[in-house]
Amino acid sequence: MSDPTTPATHDDPHGIRKDVDSPSLLLRVFAAVLGLALANVVLSTNIGPSQFTLPMQLLIGSVQAGIVAYYFMHLRHGDKVVILTALSSLFWMGILFVLFMGDYLTRHLVVSG
Amino acid sequence: MSASTHSPVLKHHFEDLGQQHACERLGIWMFLATEILFFGGVFGAYTVYRLWYPSEFVFASAYLNRTIATVNTVFLITSSLTITLAIRSAKLGDRAALIRYLLVTAALGSAFMVMKGFEYKADFHEQYVPGGLFQDEYAKAAGKIAPMTQTEAEAYFKKDSESGHPTHEAWAKDLALRNHDASGASAIDPGKVQLFLCFYYIMTGIHGIHIIVGIGCILWLVWEAWRGTIPPENYSTVEVVSLYWHLVDAIWLFLMPLLYLAGAGYGAHH
Repeated sequence: MSDPTTPATHDDPHGIRKDVDSPSLLLRVFAAVLGLALANVVLSTNIGPSQFTLPMQLLIGSVQAGIVAYYFMHLRHGDKVVILTALSSLFWMGILFVLFMGDYLTRHLVVSG
Repeated sequence: MSASTHSPVLKHHFEDLGQQHACERLGIWMFLATEILFFGGVFGAYTVYRLWYPSEFVFASAYLNRTIATVNTVFLITSSLTITLAIRSAKLGDRAALIRYLLVTAALGSAFMVMKGFEYKADFHEQYVPGGLFQDEYAKAAGKIAPMTQTEAEAYFKKDSESGHPTHEAWAKDLALRNHDASGASAIDPGKVQLFLCFYYIMTGIHGIHIIVGIGCILWLVWEAWRGTIPPENYSTVEVVSLYWHLVDAIWLFLMPLLYLAGAGYGAHH
């Protein structure tokens, strides 16, 4: 069984060089992730603690993690089964959060007696 | 039968290198899924307590060292770049560049841990540690200002801060002042501040252990590359370690806002 994403050629019999990242792309991705990290620090410091700060911080963190996963972790070249595994881990974590948040955040609604 | 069948790095139970690389990637991603769930449990517990005790978590976060955390963020993001460049070098068969990028990645990870060590040392020096150290320091500051009015207490702590050798830590003075005349609603519960610190040490500690494991794996890759056992056909060995390293980096991108940025700007807004 050959990997469909890495076709063989005469110069590259195992199809390894096909998906080599260009340094300029990696540097742009690096700059984007670093810029978002610094933006998170600056924005958080200027805005201060508020009800909007945490969602903003987590949104920036999620975008950063998404960029890292897509480019640095090569999900853009990934097999369908690898992408499915990555997405399913987020799905399972979503189930985890929904179940215990549904418990802890609704306890005050329970009327005893 | 493809050309890849003849590769010396092909394991006997795979048909060709494409299948072998695909299986290696799938295996490490399944492991990463368990890691995501592992950290997800800790993040979930943190979320519940932060929603229950927002004031205490903001207060406690405000006294963590954001400068060191920001420098460490730069270290980790840069190390993600260098290990990706190491994969590129492995694919191109540039062994010298592969070893160089791996060593830079290990050095950045080590620098992260050294900075973390300085941070922990400063935290212990300031007695910003849950348990006896924290309680003693807080009780000392709160006990000192107990018979004073709020104005007298503020003047006493200001004088203490301006002296060359303050007898109270900054966090203890702030916490004691906030609780001095506070009614129940605006008080900051020292116990819940320590709860945040428990999360801080557990989450950064677990993350630090992952960094140390990652550095060990990278140094093993350096050894293997130096021995010449990572030809281009075996680049996936580097990729597997890099995927683990990137996940550890990505987890830090969430630890940073949850732990260090929760109290960012606290002084300017209180």
